[in-house]
Amino acid sequence: MQWTLQYKETWLHRLNPSFKLVFILALFLLLLFVHNPNFISNVTVVPFILVMFATGHRKKILAILMIPFLLLFFSSASSMMFFGQGTTTWWKWGIVHMTEESFFRGLHIGFRALNFALLGLLFALTTRPVFLFYSLIQQLKVPPRFAYSFMAAVRILPVMMEEFHQLRAALLIRGIKKKKGFARIMQSVSLYAVPLLSQSIRRAHRIAVAMEAKQFNNKERTYYYKQTLSRVDVYFLIYITIGFSLAYWVGTTFPYFDLTDVRN
Amino acid sequence: MKRLKLSDILITIVIALVFGIIYKLWGPVYNIFKPFGLHIGDVIYGMWFIAGTVAVLLLRKPGVALLAETAAASGEFLVGSEYGLSVLLYGVVQGLGTELMFALFGYKRYTAFVAALGGIAAAVGSIVMDAAYGYVMDLALWKLLLLIGARLIGGFLLAGLLAYFLVEALEKTGVTSLIRPASDEDYKALDQ
Repeated sequence: MQWTLQYKETWLHRLNPSFKLVFILALFLLLLFVHNPNFISNVTVVPFILVMFATGHRKKILAILMIPFLLLFFSSASSMMFFGQGTTTWWKWGIVHMTEESFFRGLHIGFRALNFALLGLLFALTTRPVFLFYSLIQQLKVPPRFAYSFMAAVRILPVMMEEFHQLRAALLIRGIKKKKGFARIMQSVSLYAVPLLSQSIRRAHRIAVAMEAKQFNNKERTYYYKQTLSRVDVYFLIYITIGFSLAYWVGTTFPYFDLTDVRN
Repeated sequence: MKRLKLSDILITIVIALVFGIIYKLWGPVYNIFKPFGLHIGDVIYGMWFIAGTVAVLLLRKPGVALLAETAAASGEFLVGSEYGLSVLLYGVVQGLGTELMFALFGYKRYTAFVAALGGIAAAVGSIVMDAAYGYVMDLALWKLLLLIGARLIGGFLLAGLLAYFLVEALEKTGVTSLIRPASDEDYKALDQ
């Protein structure tokens, strides 16, 4: 999420964070019930346009952020493409059995993963975490204990990074040798995980005690930031609705693939 | 039931965020293993369930496993997971799996055995999600069985045994005395 990157604020930043979160999660659930590859490949364009042109970030950074998406697309798709069940064989080589059905199913999964990744990136690039947590308390009535714990915990992370570097330097000076294979995992648990976790548990406990000493509780509270719903939320809703309808219409009127349900 | 105090929540979320970062780093590792077809990658998938078991073994209260796994997933998302918000859905379902196992034992037993069951239950949760998301049930049968087997073994080894080992190591540092509720044995010790 947005901690340091330089960006221009756009209308997507002014969306209500809770609305954005709930709406995108609802889209996820909707996409889980989409089985038409024509529809899902068209739909990918909808979040892509927003990410490219409406997040206010530089194109170069956006391109770098999207490189892992390619790997994700192929790794999600390939397993089903090469090993899925199906009757119309295209290619068989050893254990690899590529059929028409499995190919399209794989493609479908790839596009689905791409959609999820783009929507996730859209959310991450345009949401300020502090506003998100305030909005969760104000709009979705999340108990302040949970939201403030999150905000405090996020602030501890940089301290832990520093501790990690210190620890590594200390181990280097003392000439600790790295073990190999399975022993390496156990070694890193006892050398890194245990000290880092125990220190952060102590720190978290101290912070909780301090917060309670300053009368942090679940009663009525006032907020520095007020989060509300606004017109832009409606724009977002309209954009997605039109985009998805258009994608569906194009997908059913001018299909690229004969298939309409990849499950068969 | 023992209610979660502020310190419980804060500690759970801090631990979870640490695992969230590990989860994020785990993504590329898994993606490299995945396309080779034989599901070696799915054994290391078990790492993605570890936050729930570690947190509940440490804090020993209801709700902790679900909170930890959900928070770890959101942590993974916060630092920019390539899986996007879908990790949140996976996190909730996996956390529910672990939570259910500890609930079955009435939140009274925190042994390696229950931890291993918790890890396996989280793996089952992830397979349920995969069936909806990635149609894994339509894979060739031998491959589906390999995937399920590897996933369960991963849950057992990493989210179960490794988590238990990690918590045991943490107990030796003495931090657990800060966070665990007083047990019956503690009260019995006072009587003598």
